[in-house]
Amino acid sequence: MHFFMLKLFSPAFGLLFQEATSEPMHTAWEKAQHPDLSRFLVIGALLFIIGVAGVLTRRNIIVIFMSIELILNAANLNFIALSRYLQETGNVNAVAGQIFAVFVIVVAAAEAAIGLGIVIALYRNKETIWVDEIDILKW
Amino acid sequence: MILSGWEAVFFWVFSIAAIFAGLLTVMARNTIHSALFLISSLVSVAALFILLQAEFIAGVQILVYVGGVMVLFLFVIMLVNVGEEERGQEEIFNRKRQVTTSVIFCGLLAAGLLYAINEGYKGFLKRDEVKIQAGTAERQAREQRMATAATGSSRITRETERVGGSLYRFASLPFEIASVLLLVAIIGSVMLARTLKQEAAVDDAAPDELQQEAAHDPEVLEAHNTL
Repeated sequence: MHFFMLKLFSPAFGLLFQEATSEPMHTAWEKAQHPDLSRFLVIGALLFIIGVAGVLTRRNIIVIFMSIELILNAANLNFIALSRYLQETGNVNAVAGQIFAVFVIVVAAAEAAIGLGIVIALYRNKETIWVDEIDILKW
Repeated sequence: MILSGWEAVFFWVFSIAAIFAGLLTVMARNTIHSALFLISSLVSVAALFILLQAEFIAGVQILVYVGGVMVLFLFVIMLVNVGEEERGQEEIFNRKRQVTTSVIFCGLLAAGLLYAINEGYKGFLKRDEVKIQAGTAERQAREQRMATAATGSSRITRETERVGGSLYRFASLPFEIASVLLLVAIIGSVMLARTLKQEAAVDDAAPDELQQEAAHDPEVLEAHNTL
């Protein structure tokens, strides 16, 4: 079990766990000095999870929209990091990830405009921004 | 892709800033504070984009997200009443049971994602050395050909030109679809945010609702009658 946990979290906390136990500390330091693709992917994953947690736990619909922006931004970070990885591994002209990120930003802007329009219409009719009070579809 | 030296320092600074600002976005009581923390998170991610040599996306991120979308958010926060939340009279999170379930779910998601990255990264490490060397040689030759900046201390990258060229060459149809999407979003949000009076003025309101509203606001009916 202990070994499984170490294996599970080694990319994110390899600095703290795996290298500290299996190898000398300075190797971990060396690794932290040279962040590679996996570190960017981990940062993207953590931002994504923070966004998901915000969507699931908050009551304020505006903050829920902000959390969605965080999620989309984490996806963008992954796209850009993988695009850079492709450029480094031989395909010098690989910019597909960056182009996809442009479209993600466009869709995020459109979604924010429509979503906030809905928030305003809702607030005008129901006088509330708490998602647990907006329940007329339930019955 | 391996960063080193100052790049590594900036990577850790900006990634930790992005994650902490993201956490504070979700946890702040004041909605305006949430918006400001989201802005700092977005700016930190834009700095990470610059580290990944995607200057154009970093610029777009700051212009569109921070300059456009976040200003829209701030305006909407101004239009709705969030005072009770700020004064601590309202709970900002869902009920305890729902929050516990969501946090457990997020923990599982985190474990799964980190495990997947850890396993999948082994595949990324299997690279074609010959191809990498050819690519590195080409990139170095390309860097030599780049024009120097006016100060002479750096070179002018052509990354943005490459992105723009590829955008029009390989993604021109999605580009047009995106423009239609934005038009639909503009019209849709204008339609959604109209008041009843504005709806009545263009004969777009339900008749019974109009009568109901006219009982205590005769201006609505007036707007409808001057059609």
